[in-house]
Amino acid sequence: MDLLWTISTILLLCSLLSILWKGFDRRRNRSCYLLDFVCYKPSDDRKLSSELCSDIIVRNKRLSVPDYKFLLKVVVNSGISEDTYGPRSIIEGREECPTHDDCVDEVDDCMYRTLDELFLRTSISPIDVDVLVVNVSMFAPSPSLTSRIVNRYRMREDVKNFSLAGMGCSASPIAIDLVNNIFKTRKRTLAVVVTSESIAPNWYYGTDKSMMLGNCLFRSGGCSFMLTNDPSLKHRAKMSLKCLVRAHIGANDDAYSCAIQKEDDEGRVGFHLSKSLPKAAVRAFAENLQRLAPKVLPVGELALYVLRGFRHWLWRSKEAKTDAATAAMVNFKSGVDHFCLHTGGAAVIDAVGRALGLTKYDVEPARMTLHRWGNTSASSLWYVLGYMEAKKRLRRKDRVLMLSFGAGFKCNSCLWEVLRDLNDGGAWEDCIRAYPPQTLVNPFMEKFGWVKEA
Amino acid sequence: MPRAPFPELSSSVRLKYVKLGYQYLVNNFVAFLLIPVMIAVSLVLVRRGPDEIMALWHSLQLDLTQVLFSVFLLVFVAAVYFVSRPRPVYLVDYACFKPPTTCRVPFATFMEHAWLINWDEKSVQFQTRILERSGLGEETCLPPASHYIPPNPTMEASRAEAQLVIFSAIDDLLKKTGLWPKNIDILVVNCSLFSPTPSLSSMIINKYELRSNIRSFNLSGMGCSAGLISIDLARDLLQVHPRSNALVISTEIITPNSYTGNQRSMLLPNCLFRMGAAAILLSNRRRDARRAKYRLLHVVRTHKGADDRAYRCVYQEEDAEGHTGISLSKNLMAIAGEALKSNITTIGPLVLPMSEQLLFFLTLVGRKLINHKWKPYVPDFKLAFEHFCIHAGGRAVIDELQNNLQLTAEHVEASRMTLHRFGNTSSSSLWYELSYIESKGRMRRGHRVWQIGFGSGFKCNSAVWKCLRTVETLVDGPWADCINRCPVDIPDVVKP
Repeated sequence: MDLLWTISTILLLCSLLSILWKGFDRRRNRSCYLLDFVCYKPSDDRKLSSELCSDIIVRNKRLSVPDYKFLLKVVVNSGISEDTYGPRSIIEGREECPTHDDCVDEVDDCMYRTLDELFLRTSISPIDVDVLVVNVSMFAPSPSLTSRIVNRYRMREDVKNFSLAGMGCSASPIAIDLVNNIFKTRKRTLAVVVTSESIAPNWYYGTDKSMMLGNCLFRSGGCSFMLTNDPSLKHRAKMSLKCLVRAHIGANDDAYSCAIQKEDDEGRVGFHLSKSLPKAAVRAFAENLQRLAPKVLPVGELALYVLRGFRHWLWRSKEAKTDAATAAMVNFKSGVDHFCLHTGGAAVIDAVGRALGLTKYDVEPARMTLHRWGNTSASSLWYVLGYMEAKKRLRRKDRVLMLSFGAGFKCNSCLWEVLRDLNDGGAWEDCIRAYPPQTLVNPFMEKFGWVKEA
Repeated sequence: MPRAPFPELSSSVRLKYVKLGYQYLVNNFVAFLLIPVMIAVSLVLVRRGPDEIMALWHSLQLDLTQVLFSVFLLVFVAAVYFVSRPRPVYLVDYACFKPPTTCRVPFATFMEHAWLINWDEKSVQFQTRILERSGLGEETCLPPASHYIPPNPTMEASRAEAQLVIFSAIDDLLKKTGLWPKNIDILVVNCSLFSPTPSLSSMIINKYELRSNIRSFNLSGMGCSAGLISIDLARDLLQVHPRSNALVISTEIITPNSYTGNQRSMLLPNCLFRMGAAAILLSNRRRDARRAKYRLLHVVRTHKGADDRAYRCVYQEEDAEGHTGISLSKNLMAIAGEALKSNITTIGPLVLPMSEQLLFFLTLVGRKLINHKWKPYVPDFKLAFEHFCIHAGGRAVIDELQNNLQLTAEHVEASRMTLHRFGNTSSSSLWYELSYIESKGRMRRGHRVWQIGFGSGFKCNSAVWKCLRTVETLVDGPWADCINRCPVDIPDVVKP
């Protein structure tokens, strides 16, 4: 019957169209756009000069003279400038007994300042936020930090909030991963992520050297950023997420315990960084790159890598084939234009730069961020990105790789594509013209130069 | 607090049957509509006679291609429909931590310790009064570090407690499900008051040597309702990643959180919080559907943080002497009731049968248009669920919810017995309650369970599960040795 035939054909076409539409819709929902980000700039009365750092260190009467020398050496050689920021409670002398309010105020100041500016710049009202994620590794009060934000900004009752804690310096990509997964399950969603670290309750006042490094390197910082999967906001977005890779080698005991919060022999809690940390970092790094490379590199480069590996195997080179050497055989710069490296320390940045075959120009944003802001933990990647933007390096279609390490031991990375030419100064606005400075040497080197003799 | 509708009339037996009849009619409306049509069609067919029917069939002149095409089309349309549905999330199994008897804290021990640690007589008397009226029993447990005088809240002891409760629960779960740790794809851990670095999720990855590409998340500070937040997150992740499973760990670590001051509002948690943990295995794999216990139907989250009163009602702060503790405000019950009401307005339409929704809607319209003095209709949730797991936050919470939702004593029995036997184990209490219901042999195929959790913020979260296979009475698990004694009569005031 013709009628039956016609009806069947129409139904078939409708089903085909609906499958195609579903496929297209799912692909649309896969996008994760970065609308904007705001890095935290604390007030100037919280600046920590080397002299002030020295005064704070000296307050700990339990330390011996060699300990003082060791700490001053770390501070002076760290590549950190005189303009980094510390928590008010430490500057005011309460580092050994911060009150609960001190800790809360430290995080509140960061969260609220950055969020106020973020909502202002994006002209989006807090009531429109669907997902809220906060990650602060070493402080988790009750009610959670997300609840503090929901209360302050009077967000909706059905806002999906997640408060991540304990996830270390590489928690930024983890928060992005969480939001990205939620984006794939619902349309036109708006997410706000706040990433920061809490220093006030975590000052170590014992005598264990492995735990004192944190005191010297960590500084106050944070960032709030807004993500969306709404295609109608794409024209306002800065970047689009291309891929995200997380590698966790905690299964290995050495890797798990190389960066761990614990008590020293006298019962004081501190963040222990062991000598096996670089080794764990290299392993996690290699693990991450193995999975990242096929997603990031162009086919040509991958083919070249296979060929090089084959030739290497064929000629049975007698050089020790370390994981870092393998990584250097791949030219990441063929698939990535800019590198946001976690500012864990000068040594970390240099090591990663060497492993990826990066030039001084490539690692400059990370080195300058370490200099200007110190190690701000999870939010450091955003300061690095801010530097690149302030220097007007980010052009449309450029690819930016964010790479960070964290306790556990993790190495997380994510690749972004820039959607339009970016030129906001952000937190670097007032000082970008002075960068890069002539020298990164600490100006108090003369005064503290005596430590070099030790 | 919402009251029962038409209280004078609903007690009348005649009206009860009218209501039953109305419910049958509305809930089976489609069937009632179709049955007369089907009877009419079959009458017509019978009257025509079999020969005429065969002649009608032959006159259609369907050839093979057309028939095949139609069949193919039907199959295709059905396939499109099935593909576009969201992935089902199954609860394969779960395990709760059973504390060792050496950790038991009977009332006498608790009071003696309170006296020895804190010489303030008023505080001790206050805690005694709370404990007597709390609904807790003599078998609740505190971690080993809390048995010291004074308690020993070091990081090492906290980690030890975490390892004890979490690893026991996971070992139990692995044994029950035969799961190989390397097969775990997603890991979500929630523990509100203890968040070391590396996180508890890293601790689990280290102990069980989980894969390096695992998706792990560690939630902290999210209160007693964080268990359902973890389930929500695991569900979202399972929607995105096919053929995956997720391990969810819900716990609260007590060691670092004993309050040593004298402020009354902060002494309450000391009296109520006890050791516990639960490990839950979720999956979206089709082959797990056959052995899974439950399927997740809905998760609804409500956050009342925008309201200052709600936000402040469970608040961690320092007292005048600098001791940190969690202060519970006096209007906690009222706020819990309001949060529940908000949650119900979202979950109601998803789970209530059409009869209740219609009544609610008509009453709402009537209140707005006809007479605003009409009492608001409280839908009867007993029609939507067979079992209720109410967070065992305290006796008052359970009483309040029993009143609000008009539940019988049997419905809240699981919550009361969990509070009695295990105390307030925070986010894992819902799983102890579910285990109770299974241990009593009450869980049958097709039964629906409503888990309700409350937490700081103030949040009210709900999850709805459907039982996929009749669960045999458990022979092991946390209730194995005491299920036959339950339900226990809990007096209003216990005099030791």
